[in-house]
Amino acid sequence: MERSATGGAGQGGAVLADLKLMLADITSDDAALTAAPDTPLLRDGLGLDSLGGALLLVRVRAEFGVDVADEDLNLDCLASIGTLAAFVADRMAGRCR
Amino acid sequence: MIKCVIWDLDNTLLAGTYLESPDQRLCADPDAARALAELAGRGILHAIASRNPPEAAACAATLTGHAFAAARLGWGKKSAAVAGILGELGLSAGEAAFVDDDPLERGEVGRALPEVLVLAPEDLAEAIGWPEFSPPVITPEARRRGDMYASRRVRQEEAAAFGGSADEFLRYCRTEVRIAEATEADLPRLHELSFRTHQFNSVGVPVGAEIFARLAGGPQGPSRVVTVRLSDKFGDDGLVGGCVITVSGGTWHVPLLMMSCRALGRGVIGALLAWIRRAASLADASEVVVTCVITDRNVPLRIALTGAGFRADMAAKITLPDWAQSGEHARVAAYHAAPGQPELPHWVVEVP
Ligand SMILES: [Mg+2]
Repeated sequence: MERSATGGAGQGGAVLADLKLMLADITSDDAALTAAPDTPLLRDGLGLDSLGGALLLVRVRAEFGVDVADEDLNLDCLASIGTLAAFVADRMAGRCR
Repeated sequence: MIKCVIWDLDNTLLAGTYLESPDQRLCADPDAARALAELAGRGILHAIASRNPPEAAACAATLTGHAFAAARLGWGKKSAAVAGILGELGLSAGEAAFVDDDPLERGEVGRALPEVLVLAPEDLAEAIGWPEFSPPVITPEARRRGDMYASRRVRQEEAAAFGGSADEFLRYCRTEVRIAEATEADLPRLHELSFRTHQFNSVGVPVGAEIFARLAGGPQGPSRVVTVRLSDKFGDDGLVGGCVITVSGGTWHVPLLMMSCRALGRGVIGALLAWIRRAASLADASEVVVTCVITDRNVPLRIALTGAGFRADMAAKITLPDWAQSGEHARVAAYHAAPGQPELPHWVVEVP
């Protein structure tokens, strides 16, 4: 789904909120909804395993049109909710510039 | 290829109806039970979709002596039960057969899920001779697949009720990961893993048993094939993964890494990667390089690699061995790690 990019913090905030909904769905745990942006996604953070992480990236591609797995070889942006939201918002802003 | 048969109970797998037969009189339909046992021996899973109370599943398991991979009991639509079982087992509709004595039920499932092979009980004797029910390779792991899914159900139920961390659960389960050199007996299963695994497979092309035979040079050879077996108190999953290692200069190259999804979440891929780094360190290697073809499907493997401390760059100078090339223009990343002595989880057993 294409979204109209407004750029700036508003865009990042909207991405962050959508990511939290996806995460709550994948982990079947509402803890994601209230998690701080620096909460790690994998293992001890929100408890995503490697398959859950891959599932999240499929959802991100469908929702935001950003293919994280293709662009981020080391998947560093899976470090936390905030790093992933920033990566996605950045690529969306770049596309609409 | 049919991977799962989904059975109705009343007057199909059972001779009679569950709710109308006193316990001591109820028995399995002999023809259906024979077909079930034959197909289970070929590695085909079995599941139950029945309009009955949940206890009927345990009763059918006792009467047939078979541990079912999944069961949906209740009074909803049969097509919804079949779809739920497919989702639970990760199968597509074209990989399932549905057997029911009631033509209305067969019609409902056939209309809702046209790719499912719908059969009446009397078709079975002939159908088990069809190629759809005859897999090309049947390894011991494939034959035990039904038991493993059944133990997975129990393990998942206990995991949901377990209070501690994932690590503590693995310990509680008495998880054991055995890492060993491949032997000749392992070759068919390694071949099978090469085409059955996708999410944890670094090349994504089938590798023949004869290739593994050629690469298996033992611990001191220029190339070696390493196998990973998994078991715990719930059951023995057998050979669930493996890798190929070639040594040149001071570098350990890993051109193939693969693991069955069955082993997911049970510490196997992390244990194998830690073992590789340790073994490289003990052999005085200077670097470990895992090459990984970037595909849509193996993102989980890439997450596991970075989680184990590997860092990737695009492998400009590395060419895949001929047996690992798909013919298409593949993007290949090289995942590097320094050899090290990461602590192996205590449940890893190294077979010398
Ligand atoms: Mg019936």
